[in-house]
Amino acid sequence: MTWLPITDLLLKAQPERQVALEPVLHHPELRERALRLAAALQARGVQRVALYLEDAAELAIALLGAWRVGVQVLLPADAQTQTRQRLSAQIDLWLDDLSELDAEPLPGARLLPEHCRLTLCTSGSSGEPKLIDKSLAQLANEVEALERLWGQNLGQASILGSVACQHIYGLLFRLLWPLCAGRPLYRRAVPFPEDLQRISLDQGDFAWIASPALLKRMGDNLDWSALSRVKQVFSSGGALPGEAAESLHERLGQWPTEIYGSSETGGIGWRQGDTAWQPFPGVELSLDETGALRIASPYLPAGHIEQSADAAEIGTDGRFVLRGRLDRIVKLEEKRISLPMLEQALMSHDWVTDARLGVIQEGRAFLGAVLALSTNGVHVLRNQGRRSVTETLRRHLAEHCEAIALPRRWRLLLELPYSSQGKLAQSQIDALLAAPRPTRVEPFSREELDGEWLLQLQVPVDLAHFTGHFPQTPVLPGVVQVDWAQQLARQLIAHLPPRFAGMEVLKFQQLVRPGDTLQLSLRFDAERGKLYFAYRNGEAACSSGRILLEQAHG
Amino acid sequence: MSDLQLEIKNLIIDALGLEDMSADDIGAEQTLFGEGLGLDSVDALELGLAIQKRFGIKIDAEAKDTRKHFANVASLAAFVSAQKAA
Repeated sequence: MTWLPITDLLLKAQPERQVALEPVLHHPELRERALRLAAALQARGVQRVALYLEDAAELAIALLGAWRVGVQVLLPADAQTQTRQRLSAQIDLWLDDLSELDAEPLPGARLLPEHCRLTLCTSGSSGEPKLIDKSLAQLANEVEALERLWGQNLGQASILGSVACQHIYGLLFRLLWPLCAGRPLYRRAVPFPEDLQRISLDQGDFAWIASPALLKRMGDNLDWSALSRVKQVFSSGGALPGEAAESLHERLGQWPTEIYGSSETGGIGWRQGDTAWQPFPGVELSLDETGALRIASPYLPAGHIEQSADAAEIGTDGRFVLRGRLDRIVKLEEKRISLPMLEQALMSHDWVTDARLGVIQEGRAFLGAVLALSTNGVHVLRNQGRRSVTETLRRHLAEHCEAIALPRRWRLLLELPYSSQGKLAQSQIDALLAAPRPTRVEPFSREELDGEWLLQLQVPVDLAHFTGHFPQTPVLPGVVQVDWAQQLARQLIAHLPPRFAGMEVLKFQQLVRPGDTLQLSLRFDAERGKLYFAYRNGEAACSSGRILLEQAHG
Repeated sequence: MSDLQLEIKNLIIDALGLEDMSADDIGAEQTLFGEGLGLDSVDALELGLAIQKRFGIKIDAEAKDTRKHFANVASLAAFVSAQKAA
């Protein structure tokens, strides 16, 4: 099939050119529908349109139609209410269904490069979503480079993708590249391995535009010998674990082609197998003083050098190795998530005074939140339980982000553990999230007077025991109070007999609840082998008793 | 609630790291993905692997719409029973 530059996609109808699969779409119909949509957009006086279309062929029609009449296209990353509201000032129309826009078609024409304006939305490191403008030249340079590298290998393969076209990778690989190359594209994203197999094996030749989220979860159930017909497997959006690449290599007899890039820069480099990355032709790389990659590229605006936050090393042969991220943007299953944005959203809630997030990798990657609760937050925790707090905060956050970014693990504190220099390392947050919820308490002061110890302690708001005791009204169990008294006494009083032998005159007078500050007095009567303990909360006695201790038997 | 449904609920909670959630919090007919429990396609992939591993069954790659069995706990339990019997 002859290559059509993006500008020529609406020029002349090409009946033999198949554009899409399921249902099939040929070029003349694509062109006709794009030109009708163009006329309708023009008649409505639309100048800026947001497109959110899951069907890649529909997106292609809308994109080309808008460009035909110089309508600027914005591709939002999601269709969240907040996203729509935030973008509403910048667009005239949010389009997620093309059926309502129709008019007599404009004549076919070559697209004017200055008419083809595209804006991508992604998460910025400051917390605000970032808008990235793309010119036609940038997009055209990239798809032409892809075709030069791999066009011959792909031949007339049908292009199946597991990723959305709203992002740069899907847009280039699943939509623009096949359109220009005349390869049929499968309209819907195919996120599940068994569907990908079924659809693939219905095709002649096929290639996959996939992501690590899928490729590392292919399972053991597929017909790999049949699938090894796949012409090429692309992976991008995030790092593909080495073992996933290795496994594909074993099963398919070929390495996946990993693409490293970003919304800002487009593709930067590629590799097949566990090697250094090969920069795309024309991409020039350097490092700044922090070791972060700087990129000049034909896929960037002319003369622009993009400063990334990816640490890297560049070899003498020009190839490079990646060394991790230097800022607080994380990738969760290829979704770029700005931790500062979510933290700000959490802190905007009345129950939260401070918030830090970290990534937990257990099977899948998800976020955990370490929060300092406000007085109101503690009040709700004490009276409605932990789940009320975390569920309410999840719902609050859901207005600001996609479901994937909602924390699944929470650690609740009264204040975050900043150092005296006001620093709180990410490693500390990650450690708090990795550790189980506390079961013990650390006194914040202790003094001894005539053999009696007086300790001040604050009951952790997030004590593990509160979950079952009781879900809606957390209360410190009596057995935990006795246990703490004994544990703390063993830290302070030398030569306590090791063996617990019973209790005497145990009294529980007042409930102890999350966040309470308690005074604990401890005195050991060595003669009788009795440890006296009493918890007070200010004036009120909470509990008291004697723990009988004795020497271990022979 | 059948034992199998309970086992599947606990599998969902464990495999997907759903803190503060107990089996009682997941309704047998409650939609698992998208709205409802709010799980996403990566959860669906993870759960697919976990279910196949736990029950020693296979998601049929020939059949269409196998993921419909993942709509809720009740449909998953029916799917697992049918696969185990097969």
